[in-house]
Amino acid sequence: MDSKLRHFPPRWPDRFLEFYCNPNRLEQIQGDAYELFYMNLEERGLAFARFRFFIHVLSFFRWGNIRRSKSTYQTYNQGAMLKNYFKIGWRNLIKQKGTTFISVFGLACAVGCCLVAYLFIAQIWFKGMNQPNKDEIFQLTYTAEGENGLETYGVIAEPVSELIPDKLSQVKSHTRISVDFSILIHNNESYNQRSMFVDPAFMDMFVYRMDYGYPGALMEPDQVILTHELSEKLFGTTHPIGQELSLVVNGEEKRYTVGGVLADLNDMDMFNFDLLVNITTHPNATLDLPLKDAWNSELWTFIQVEDGTDISQMKSGLAEMTSIQNTIDPEKPYKSVQLEAFTDLVRNSDQIERGVVGFLAIAPQILLAVIASFILILAVFNYINISVLMASRRLKEIGVRKVIGSRRSQLVFQFLSENLMVCFLAIFLGCLLAGFIFLPGFNEIASKNLKIDLFRDGYIWIFLGAMLLFITLVSGLYPAIYVSSFKPLNILKGNQKIGSKSVFTSVLLTFQFTLAIISIVAGVAFVQTNYINENRDWGYDSSDKIIVNVPSSEDYLPLKNKLSALASVTEVSGSQDFVGDWIREEQLVFNDEKYEISLLNAESNYPEVLDLKLKGGRMFNPELISDMQESVIVNQTFIDQLGLEFPLDEKIELDSMSYSIVGVVEDFHTIFFQSAIDPIVIRASPDTTFNFLTLKMTAGMAESSMESIKKIWHETIPRGLFTGKLQTEVFDREFTDVQGVRNILLFSAILAVILASLGLFGLVSLNMNSHIKDYCIRKVFGANLGDLSLKLLKRYLIIWAIASVLGGAFSVIIISNFLDSFFAFHSGVGVFPIGFGLVILLLVIAATVGSQIWKIVKANPATILKAE
Amino acid sequence: MKGYRLGELEELILLTVGILDQDAYGVAILEEIKNQTGRKVNISAIHTVLNRLEEKGFLKSYMGGATEERGGRRKRLFTISATGRAAIQEVKTLRNKLYDQIPPLALDFSYGQ
Repeated sequence: MDSKLRHFPPRWPDRFLEFYCNPNRLEQIQGDAYELFYMNLEERGLAFARFRFFIHVLSFFRWGNIRRSKSTYQTYNQGAMLKNYFKIGWRNLIKQKGTTFISVFGLACAVGCCLVAYLFIAQIWFKGMNQPNKDEIFQLTYTAEGENGLETYGVIAEPVSELIPDKLSQVKSHTRISVDFSILIHNNESYNQRSMFVDPAFMDMFVYRMDYGYPGALMEPDQVILTHELSEKLFGTTHPIGQELSLVVNGEEKRYTVGGVLADLNDMDMFNFDLLVNITTHPNATLDLPLKDAWNSELWTFIQVEDGTDISQMKSGLAEMTSIQNTIDPEKPYKSVQLEAFTDLVRNSDQIERGVVGFLAIAPQILLAVIASFILILAVFNYINISVLMASRRLKEIGVRKVIGSRRSQLVFQFLSENLMVCFLAIFLGCLLAGFIFLPGFNEIASKNLKIDLFRDGYIWIFLGAMLLFITLVSGLYPAIYVSSFKPLNILKGNQKIGSKSVFTSVLLTFQFTLAIISIVAGVAFVQTNYINENRDWGYDSSDKIIVNVPSSEDYLPLKNKLSALASVTEVSGSQDFVGDWIREEQLVFNDEKYEISLLNAESNYPEVLDLKLKGGRMFNPELISDMQESVIVNQTFIDQLGLEFPLDEKIELDSMSYSIVGVVEDFHTIFFQSAIDPIVIRASPDTTFNFLTLKMTAGMAESSMESIKKIWHETIPRGLFTGKLQTEVFDREFTDVQGVRNILLFSAILAVILASLGLFGLVSLNMNSHIKDYCIRKVFGANLGDLSLKLLKRYLIIWAIASVLGGAFSVIIISNFLDSFFAFHSGVGVFPIGFGLVILLLVIAATVGSQIWKIVKANPATILKAE
Repeated sequence: MKGYRLGELEELILLTVGILDQDAYGVAILEEIKNQTGRKVNISAIHTVLNRLEEKGFLKSYMGGATEERGGRRKRLFTISATGRAAIQEVKTLRNKLYDQIPPLALDFSYGQ
């Protein structure tokens, strides 16, 4: 008897039986199955017995034996049990307000950050996904031979849309879309706005909520629909409907009235526009172009098919379109015309040239995702550490539960349910944090308009649900499994030590410190770089200069004459591009070798007007004809990169004309510090008209003269858009951008430090609570402050040291790469940022430990040791 | 005839429970049927039939008799109820009545040769 009881029936079938079997019948069935198992074991051996046991379990799997939730046999009350779990969990949370706050606050911050990152990424990848007809909308694209083999284009010849009703069956509606940067004039102010010219059917295919007016407003050709943003900018709080404005497209001015205003798009729309205009009013639409030219103008074309249409049936129609196009325009044959699903536009954006979706801004997505995951990891680790420690106060509860007959899975479930509660709270708070604090700040920085739209955005619910599940499991599974693994005997005897000093906690803490260090280093290094760049010498004197744009060549001379007449203007110089902006690139030939250089065509006095610093040679001399025709000035980088010595006799060749270098100027920054300084050639161009005028003002007059210059400008060019600015302002936008990034990094660094210190505080104080008698006894026996602090501090100092090495090494690698990708000129990750990070962390540790030591110093050992 | 409808296996098991008297439960019935008739019946089929017979009121059951081989689990022990006894009785009388009506010749296999 005993010998055969050494064997047991196979475990998994047995568990399966327990799992499915109706509890009322389980005892009888399992008993019979066991008995048969031992019978078989005796007669036929172990393998057979096991096999038969398995077969029996399967054969018992009958309707009558399977447990059902509403079985009349069911006497369990799961609901009461769950209620009990939540009640105990809630009481525990309330009882430990401090630690609950640390967990919930940390997780809520993490959820907030993740939400912002998610919204930013979703805004790129889920563009247009809230359109109800998205599955029925397709874009017509064509494939043709391009420079790099076959290429697919998002635009298509305009007349194709006329063929759609004939050639394609089952098309509900179709629209052409053409985006134009046109000048919008309202109340004598001009703005540069993105107008989208569409067919009225556009408003049927794409559904927008309207603030004012109705979607059919575009049926009237002289009405436009504005976005919420533009309407606010133009009209403020006044009622926008019926207001008048005019658009200047291709130099023609046309008057429109506002027929509608869209509700805020929250950056979630596929198209990027400020106002919608009926395409029949586009100046090109009224022109009677020859057939071939009409086919040459290309724009986006979208169709909406009937619900449930098989797209493959349209092949023949699309092929006909291809052949029609190819007979009209045989020089530029289409290979084929296809339909691209609206829902695939973002995903396939890199395969479609000139498509709706341009570039996907991968780098900021990565940055935000990394920051969000840093914060999430910090918060989750805090929670894991604290909840393991917290469980040490509930060891007895766990022991009793186990003795009474709780299975481990039930204990795990209990802890997870408490965890779920914390996470739910955290998600709720995180949404509030994100909605009211993080998002407004981020929108400001990134000039975005993101919003948590719980009512209309289904994806956000999926995201929040996934977050809840993920955080609950990741943060709760380890503590739950660890805590439920103790033997009840050890617990109740009081032998169970819970790991406040466990390796696992130390590893998590090290990891947290490392992340905190990396965040601090990133923030500090970025601040440092910004500081250095803000004070960087631009290579020329930017003060007292104004740049004015010249929209067309006929305005150049009148404008120049009028501006020169101003008293405060000392000198005027024209240039094709201007320093502080992008400068066109040209190919240069020197000694039969080709080089890519930036070429700045300008009037001969331009280098002097700009106060470029001469390093060798001379500036242009307007008196010399040779200077006007065959001389250039170059910068130092040019000399260095070509390996030349100035002065030199060889000539360089540009546009198959040869020039001699008459002067070298010191390097100056034409574009922002994100890019290195390119070799530049300044050519005194004989052209008499330029795109920009640079005005040198009498000292201190630049800012105050801006208004009068703008006025003169508008008098000369009434239909234009004035984009003039001070030379000192040319990098303003870039500075704002990098300051935004700096703010995000600083914010994440501060948050990381706060979270790490909160977690540390929780750990230290819980540790202290459980060892307070230990410390008091030491105190009684005369341990001084130093000894006590050292005892408590030692472990954290070791962790800090390890984290310093890791964090230092990682931040040197990661942050340098990050800075490199951002700036050509940066401070690098030097001793200062790393040292700063380490010191901050050390201070945090010292402060945390100090606060606990202070508790002991103040405590009366007698009261603590007496209490039991 | 308002009767006790018993299937073939039901009848067999009802009889076996009667034979085993106070010690009738799944495995014992299985063994008894095997010994008496040589038939190998699946244990789950026996359980199903036992449950059905109990629902019909032919059997009564109680829990008891835990053994070590069963991992300390009790058996469900079945006994025949009064209705069950009546049912067997009626089935038996019906059989006998029918058997008695068969003409003797039909049983003589040499007839007709």
